[in-house]
Amino acid sequence: MSKHSHAPAVCFYFQVHQPYRLRDLRVTDIGQLKQGEYFDLEKNRAVFQKVAEKCYLPTNALLLDLIKAHPDFRVAFSISGVFIDQCREYGPNVLKSFQALAETGRVEFLAETYYHSLSAIFSWGEFCEQVERHVKTIEELFGIRPTMFRNTELVYNNEIAEVARLLGFRGILAEGADHLLGGRSPNVLYRPPKFRLPPAMRKSIARHRIHPTSVATIKTLLKNYRLSDDIAFRFSNKTWRGYPLTADTFASWVASSGGQRHGGRDRQCQSVNLFMDYETFGEHQWADTGIFEFLRALPGEFSRHGIETLTPSQVIQRSGRRPCDVFDAHAVVSWADTERDLSAWRSNHLQEAALVGIYSLEHAVRAAEDPALLDIWRKLQTSDHFYYLSTKYWNDGDVHKYFSPYESPYEAYRRYSHALEDLRCTLEKLAPPLKAHNS
Amino acid sequence: MSFHTLMFGWEYPPVHCGGLGVACQGIVRGLLHHGARVTLVLPHDAAEEEGANILSLGNVGSDVVVVPAKIRPYDSMQSYAYRVATLGTEPVEQLYGDNLGEEVERYTAVATELTKNVQPDIVHTHDWMTLEAGVRAARSHGKPLVAHVHATELDRTEFHPNAWIMKRELQGLQKADHIIAVSGYTKNLLVREYGMPEDKITVLHNGTFNDRPLQRRIDDGTEKHPLVLFLGRLTVQKGVSYFIRAAQRVHELRPDVRFVVAGEGYLLPQLIQESFERGIADSMIFAGRVTNSEAKTLYKKASCFVMPSVSEPFGLVALEAITHGAPVVLSRQSGVSEVVHNALLVDFWDTDKMADCILTVLREKPLRSEMRSQSKRILGNLTWHRQAGKILSIYDKVILDS
Repeated sequence: MSKHSHAPAVCFYFQVHQPYRLRDLRVTDIGQLKQGEYFDLEKNRAVFQKVAEKCYLPTNALLLDLIKAHPDFRVAFSISGVFIDQCREYGPNVLKSFQALAETGRVEFLAETYYHSLSAIFSWGEFCEQVERHVKTIEELFGIRPTMFRNTELVYNNEIAEVARLLGFRGILAEGADHLLGGRSPNVLYRPPKFRLPPAMRKSIARHRIHPTSVATIKTLLKNYRLSDDIAFRFSNKTWRGYPLTADTFASWVASSGGQRHGGRDRQCQSVNLFMDYETFGEHQWADTGIFEFLRALPGEFSRHGIETLTPSQVIQRSGRRPCDVFDAHAVVSWADTERDLSAWRSNHLQEAALVGIYSLEHAVRAAEDPALLDIWRKLQTSDHFYYLSTKYWNDGDVHKYFSPYESPYEAYRRYSHALEDLRCTLEKLAPPLKAHNS
Repeated sequence: MSFHTLMFGWEYPPVHCGGLGVACQGIVRGLLHHGARVTLVLPHDAAEEEGANILSLGNVGSDVVVVPAKIRPYDSMQSYAYRVATLGTEPVEQLYGDNLGEEVERYTAVATELTKNVQPDIVHTHDWMTLEAGVRAARSHGKPLVAHVHATELDRTEFHPNAWIMKRELQGLQKADHIIAVSGYTKNLLVREYGMPEDKITVLHNGTFNDRPLQRRIDDGTEKHPLVLFLGRLTVQKGVSYFIRAAQRVHELRPDVRFVVAGEGYLLPQLIQESFERGIADSMIFAGRVTNSEAKTLYKKASCFVMPSVSEPFGLVALEAITHGAPVVLSRQSGVSEVVHNALLVDFWDTDKMADCILTVLREKPLRSEMRSQSKRILGNLTWHRQAGKILSIYDKVILDS
């Protein structure tokens, strides 16, 4: 053991999510639709079942094997609420396979916004309700109340961290963005700067408390994006220097990435945080790339290199009361694109109109007091809708294109703006303008 | 030292009717920009030249050899295509009589004779009319032949080709050392319908003289009558009757919208009739043939430009439309949709969706703004200078391989 004492731990977190894609809506549908008819049921079912076959089922089965075979192997998941809804609609066996993993006791489930939304940017009230609902659902399904929070697409800033703390979370996940680390390692825990939110806001957040008490300091786990992306993006890239990547090589990279053990932070727990989409396994990296063999061999290679696997909450437990450096995210950081900011969802006219359009309906939707309508409004908040509207690299044809179910951002907007128009129309019918009565 | 291309053209501004002349001019100017020598052979006689433009090109390094043949460029092609479409199996000789077929023959014979003493490094033809001349010139000079395909007989005739033309096209293309196709769409067609080997074809999209969008009036979406524009020859190929069908759908929901059909062609009477039958005659203006400056005004005023072509090898009008800030709805059966990414795409026959796209563009200012803001990037990547640079690389490769 001693010869490996310099090796850091590894913390895996996998994001599991599928959006509700829109169908080919037409202007003539507006005002004629029944609730929920915005979504392309067949397409959503087909995608879900395809990814279930290629990724969720085989990877869950593999992880179950690995957890049984390696007593120290652990992973964490964040499963969006809309994914769980789709499991119920399209694949209860997928949900069962996640529950089987939960039963091992070595899998942590993180909290997020139920609708995988960007509500943290637009409405704290909405944000808190979605987190509450998600936590409740996770607890019901997997028997554990999450203590760690990760926001949609790792969208993070100091304020979001503070809100998560007030809700009672002990830790939060974020992107290890270079410009905020300033040369520091992403492998140690950080904390946001201390500040107080306005009393009114604190009070309204307190109403949604997930855990009865708040910690004095919430800890921030940062994604080691280089090592994460070696698996998530570069694994099958034949022009990459590291190709083909073996579990042995990867474990040795992790082992040698500890670095500062004898420096200023010698008492800190070092963990290489590998955060990625779960669809990496079998969907983004197809089975024939050898990704499953790689994953199968990883726990063994980690042990051989003296690398422990921990869940996010274990990383925090290990660090105990040791002081942390400040990770000061004044502006928003995320894990998307090279910019690692909000620009994947909010940088053009289409995205701005769609985001402002959907969140401006909050008041009217709540006033309608119709749970089905609320659910539809929230499904339209899923961040993927805005990602599909991105034109950033559209002309060059890139990952947005690869990940979009629509032909173009303009086609995506055609559908989304029709849905928004219909929702507006429905709300107006339910509550004709009240202003005259008020005055 | 400087590279010399012997080019056989058909149309050339100001004597042109469609995109072929504009593209030819762009290529010539682009090649000249890169210091290449261009000898351009054109069919029009001097009287039809209105001289200036082409001669001025001659002054800066290209030689224009005018073949004394009296060919009416596109119009005869189109009326011919129309006759093919309606008469079907009529023998070529009767259709053509003594015009197009014979003019092409004369062009070929005279052009070959005229360019006897030219010493080119490569021979470059534009479409089937000039192919045989190019084949002969390449043979007599012992130089490779590059055939540039701007349109095929299948595009022009809605896939009811004239057998004589198609055979000529096919034989010429087979003899060419390399083919430049104006789009992936055209390349696929050449592979699929003409059996050309894929590796013999390079895709080179047409370019633009404007590397950025031009100034435009402010679009605040408050016009009393938003304008939806079609601009092109009124032929089957351009899909204008699908535009009228879509216009009817738009009109049902937005009676305030005005439609302009700009351009002339043999379908005009039929289209006017159709606009009456569909009850939209009052909302539709047939503007006839428009000058360049009238076209610019229309593009600038249009809230939406529609190109519903049935089979469009490229579609330069779409580039012109985005240059003037018009949001565009494009037929998926077009080459230009491969490069104009700031567009809504539809199948030409799907007039319901075409109408829906138009209505969305009219309703959504953010959509119009976003489409416009992307034009600069697209146009900047498509200048004739850039495209001509790619032609020179193709020349290099062809010469190396020959």
